[in-house]
Amino acid sequence: MMRPYAHPEVLVSTEWVAEHLHDTERVRLVESNEDVLLYDTGHIPNAVHIDWTRDLQDPVVRDFIDKDRFAALCSRLGIGNDTTVVFYGDKHNWWACYAFWVFKLFGHEDCRIMDGGRQKWIAEGRPLTREVPQFPPRPYVARDPDLSIRAFRDQVLEHMRAGRPLVDVRTPQEYRGELTHMPDYPQEGALRAGHIPGAVNVPWSRAVREDGTFRSREELERIYVEEQGLSGQEEVITYCRIGERSSHTWFVLKYLLGLERVRNYDGSWTEWGNLVGVPIEKGPNP
Amino acid sequence: MPSLQDFIRLFGSADERTRLEMLLELSERLPPLPPELEQASLREQARVPECQSPVYLWIELDAQGRIHLQADVPREAPTVRGFVALLREAFEGREGAEIWSAPPDLLNRLGLTQALGMQRIRGLEAIYRRLLAEIKRRLAAQEA
Repeated sequence: MMRPYAHPEVLVSTEWVAEHLHDTERVRLVESNEDVLLYDTGHIPNAVHIDWTRDLQDPVVRDFIDKDRFAALCSRLGIGNDTTVVFYGDKHNWWACYAFWVFKLFGHEDCRIMDGGRQKWIAEGRPLTREVPQFPPRPYVARDPDLSIRAFRDQVLEHMRAGRPLVDVRTPQEYRGELTHMPDYPQEGALRAGHIPGAVNVPWSRAVREDGTFRSREELERIYVEEQGLSGQEEVITYCRIGERSSHTWFVLKYLLGLERVRNYDGSWTEWGNLVGVPIEKGPNP
Repeated sequence: MPSLQDFIRLFGSADERTRLEMLLELSERLPPLPPELEQASLREQARVPECQSPVYLWIELDAQGRIHLQADVPREAPTVRGFVALLREAFEGREGAEIWSAPPDLLNRLGLTQALGMQRIRGLEAIYRRLLAEIKRRLAAQEA
């Protein structure tokens, strides 16, 4: 018998979603993708669309929308404070986890991830539609953001100086700071390459199987606990390039392994790699 | 086929939602890759590494100096597909020298920076830069 995840209720299967497609009074399916147009090419029946750029980010300040706009977004999609919100999407649920994290930031109680995401739903030959559902707006009261799951740069700096655990979930090439110096292809996004000193490199993809589902608790413990020594005694900060892949690992550590204190550094490398004067490490070692 | 200027006018006069819908329509018009380009050995050079999705672009100038563009973009990346289809319709069969009048800030002019967000347009800009650079290189080679 396999050991269950620390918080098994946050993960639902494609079967569960198939059985709840029409339970729209209590359940809202939310598709979140890297590609803004993918939802329009076909999505799970009765799923609404939340786009990480157009819906969740402030168009002026580099930050998320504020709580009033979050409440308006939920209200417009027919999401009430007691709605079960099930996220799924492309790219092994990166953006689904990102949207999940933003919903948790604003204190939404019942958030879940559909294990395997869009890829698994489609692989199983389940139905897609281009029909965009409309639900009656529901009142929504947003809370002040729960900043215990979000890391800002000064906290990361302090965390690094204290030698506490940091997990860089980017590819080894990004971690080691290897730039691709090709003519006409300037490196964009960050002026410096490398990683935050002390950070270990565990690419996000190690947490998933071929079919897009999360690895078992035993397999995840082998990677994050035995190999990397993340015990849950100390707070952990995850980061990547813009905070989406690291929200995937944040989800794994907090909900599947049950580490109490995990923060996602959404500023990630596009902030750190542009900050003046902060320490950077290059090469394969933390 | 519409020119690049036609696309700039068309997108420029549309609202954000319509721009995205036009991109989606374009994505459905990208022709399949000719079988002779399917070979794995040809693929690596054609890969655009800045794109998160596997995007492959083949750029040629024929003996008359006309541009030919082939591309392979996954259906799971309709935004990139749509943008590549736009470039293909705007440049296929045109004089190589036309790229000298192609604006460097195409994505702004199409109103896509706003509609897609800064973080998303990096890959698209890389595709456009590669197209311009490759044609310039081939024009220089033909002159030499």
